[in-house]
Amino acid sequence: MFRSVVPRAAPRALLRPVSQSTFCAPNLYFQGRLRRGYASEAEEKDLVIIGGGVAGYVAAIKAGQAGLKVACIEKRGSLGGTCLNVGCIPSKSLLNNSHLYHTILHDTKARGIEVGDVTLNLGAMMKAKETSVSGLTKGIEFLFKKNNVEYIKGTGAFKDEHTVAVNLVEGGETEVRGKNIFIATGSEATPFPGLTIDEEKVITSTGAIALKEVPKKMIVIGGGIIGLEMGSVWSRLGAEVTVVEYLGQIGGPGMDNEIAKLTQKLLTKQGMKFKLNTKVMGGDVSTSSVAINVEAAKGGKEESLDADVVLVAIGRRPYTAGLGLENIGLETDERGRLIIDQEFRTKIPHIRSIGDVTFGPMLAHKAEEEAVAAIEYLIKGYGHVNYGAIPSVMYTHPEVAWVGQNEQELKAADVKYKTGSFPFSANSRAKTNLDTEGIVKFLADAKTDRILGIHIVGPNAGEMIAEGVLALEYGASSEDVARTSHAHPTLSEAFKEAAMATYDKAIHY
Amino acid sequence: MPALSPTMTEGNITSWKVKEGDSFVAGDVLLEIETDKAQMDVEAQDDGIVAKIIVQDGAKAVQVGARIAVTAEPGDDLSSLDIPAEDNPSPKRESSAKETPKEQSSEPPKEDKPAPKHSGSSDATKKPSGGKAQKQTYPLYPSVQHLLKENGLGKSEADKIPATGPNGRLLKGDVLSYLGRIEESYAAESAKRIASLAHLDLSNIKVAAPKKEAPSKKTEAATEAPTSVSEVEIALSVSLKAVIECQKRVQESIGVFLPISTFIARATELANEDLPRSKTSKPSADELFDAVLGLDKIAGRKYARGHFAPQITAMPLASLGARAFVGKKPDILDILSGKKSGPRSKKVSTTSGTTAIAPLNVFSISVPKGDEKRGQVFLERVKSVLEAEPGRLVV
Ligand SMILES: Cc1cc2nc3c(=O)[nH]c(=O)nc-3n(C[C@H](O)[C@H](O)[C@H](O)COP(=O)(O)OP(=O)(O)OC[C@H]3O[C@@H](n4cnc5c(N)ncnc54)[C@H](O)[C@@H]3O)c2cc1C
Repeated sequence: MFRSVVPRAAPRALLRPVSQSTFCAPNLYFQGRLRRGYASEAEEKDLVIIGGGVAGYVAAIKAGQAGLKVACIEKRGSLGGTCLNVGCIPSKSLLNNSHLYHTILHDTKARGIEVGDVTLNLGAMMKAKETSVSGLTKGIEFLFKKNNVEYIKGTGAFKDEHTVAVNLVEGGETEVRGKNIFIATGSEATPFPGLTIDEEKVITSTGAIALKEVPKKMIVIGGGIIGLEMGSVWSRLGAEVTVVEYLGQIGGPGMDNEIAKLTQKLLTKQGMKFKLNTKVMGGDVSTSSVAINVEAAKGGKEESLDADVVLVAIGRRPYTAGLGLENIGLETDERGRLIIDQEFRTKIPHIRSIGDVTFGPMLAHKAEEEAVAAIEYLIKGYGHVNYGAIPSVMYTHPEVAWVGQNEQELKAADVKYKTGSFPFSANSRAKTNLDTEGIVKFLADAKTDRILGIHIVGPNAGEMIAEGVLALEYGASSEDVARTSHAHPTLSEAFKEAAMATYDKAIHY
Repeated sequence: MPALSPTMTEGNITSWKVKEGDSFVAGDVLLEIETDKAQMDVEAQDDGIVAKIIVQDGAKAVQVGARIAVTAEPGDDLSSLDIPAEDNPSPKRESSAKETPKEQSSEPPKEDKPAPKHSGSSDATKKPSGGKAQKQTYPLYPSVQHLLKENGLGKSEADKIPATGPNGRLLKGDVLSYLGRIEESYAAESAKRIASLAHLDLSNIKVAAPKKEAPSKKTEAATEAPTSVSEVEIALSVSLKAVIECQKRVQESIGVFLPISTFIARATELANEDLPRSKTSKPSADELFDAVLGLDKIAGRKYARGHFAPQITAMPLASLGARAFVGKKPDILDILSGKKSGPRSKKVSTTSGTTAIAPLNVFSISVPKGDEKRGQVFLERVKSVLEAEPGRLVV
């Protein structure tokens, strides 16, 4: 008798749980629980966010703080997106710990620290990485609770302009309606045509943070930041790493030419090999190793390189697969980026898009800035992201960091500029630390002295660049920085001296 | 008209708290607005002067984005200010619609906007491209201070120098311009160039050709879709007697009719909380790690919220025989067993109220195989809440 069945869909539609009735002041006991605002199909949120990466989770928390009813849909099973799970955080964990290993192996003896047998326990190093990752993603889940953000674990797809159907991770389906919807679905590694990613022999950065053993030989296709960071990790741990780059310089388009050359020199000294102006033609994975065919970018000499592992790091592309954009007629540009206006609105005004999935540099802190600004646009009508002052950092050793424009860009824009630089080899703290490679370089307007760009390669460059970002945000001149006191002895004195060298003369060089 | 909530589309102006010509500072109440939901004060975001009030006290149903007043920057001479024409009122454009002649020089000079909305630059940039002299309220930059001293200019002189820095800050280049050391317009021009870098370059967007087919998408969906393992149906009979009684009581005492669906929805909400974890969801690395540390007990990781929505089927009771059953779907078991017509089921109409509801109903859900326990707990909770104390759901 109980099995008397009604067509599934119909009663569901009729019997949507309604959590808000027109009448009723729920008693305290229920109020607390009902107000937590968990998913009930018919309930309409002020904001639904698809994607729980940096862009999505920051927007969700900010919206929760502003008192909006907000839900965030994430399919990965943990929050934080690429950055926390397979990007910034795990890569930095491996960079830090492989650097320590490398230092102990090669450097501490000269500093008077003699260590017995040094062995690598890769499993434990990976475990340390996972601890960092899980601590951080957990933290976000806690922040969601604290800020009344409903977390829906599942894959979201547009059903219509206000409704997102969710395929739940735990099984089953639900749907949420939003007065406003943010698309923050991020990006994925761009595959290399003709090489199938298996994340074991042919890997992306996701495989590169989870290798089970140190490969003897590794080829990195693409000499951008991700390629160089992951290449550094495995090179320090003992792999013979060759970076193949199509362009004539490493570091990607934003890196200043001079800085890129210097960086390449330093990384070469550490044992990495570089093949610039070189085109990868294809690969063969049929044997136990991988063979990669390359030739000079301008045509000519062909060559075959072999390796145990090939890392494909030629860039990332926006990810919108399965999102159902076609159901609501949203468009992307040729490179797959969701088309938006300056206030992050798509052509459907209540749907906005932020982070890697849309325009601008694919950086976690850029995604974060946009998340905050997009919420501000939503509730206040204005927001602020200064795309002219977003720093970039490469966490190799030494680190490379910059903000603003580089020399080749200023030349192209026909701006008259002056430069001033200062080497860490003349900085007292760097000398004390026996860590003296690199320089700080300022680019300032030739007439007004306003800072146009700051480029650093050197120890702790990533932290030091914060001062440069602040200077740019405030329209400071190099003289302003030079007239600001910096503690002695610190690496930051090199920053100040470079500013002095720009508008006047450095003292210690 | 500023949008005071994400959903506001129009509002009434109750009264202005400032007059034309008045100066205000950030935080001052400018006017009071009334919407269908509430009455609210609109506070100034920045310091300024009221140049003109366009929509007066008492105006009704003013669209969000419509210009209601024009403000100018502190120190501006109102008589010389020309008020730019308004473009179409657009939603949620509070500040730019309201504070028109204000600096918007940070907008790129000209942008080809692909997307539908035009952001505020158009109604805002009537002033000369150069900087404007203004009172320097922040500490002067060290370079500026130095130059002023060096050239025998007092601090008050700083307020007279056209400033091109962010938010009207006075830069070294501005002083150099003022002193005639560099061309007068140079600082302003370079400020304009730098300001244009502050925005995403959304010019020349090439829209992707519409995708014919995305076979990769399908395979992806197939691999990514939560494995649609075989589903199991779980059912439990629930009496709605108590609910119906409660419904009646509420109606009699306060004259409000609460649909049964409200009770069921609330019961569902509650019952979905902290269910035993799904067997089909694998514990993540984090969770295993937490389990090692014993954190799972603190954080309650054994439990997870469900997303069940029960399907409700009325029990065909003899005593209710007089009612016409609308649901004509024959029971599959009956078909299989060759019976001609079995008991018929009837859907619960959630909106039409009491008359259509049978006191005894079967609540059923389907769960992935292995999750029967989770489903059972859910149903039992729904049952106990509805049968024992439905009043607590709505009081
Ligand atoms: C190896 C590596 C190292 C990096 N290092 C740095 C660094 O040091 N500094 C830095 O600034 N940046 C770094 N990045 C870039 C940074 O990770 C990204 O810029 C950042 O993660 C972008 O955030 P996002 O929220 O836009 O997208 P993502 O982080 O990609 O998040 C999007 C999320 O949406 C989810 N999602 C997608 N579609 C759906 C759907 N339909 N339904 C539900 N959920 C969905 C995805 O699962 C994903 O979790 C690195 C990237 C990589 C790969």
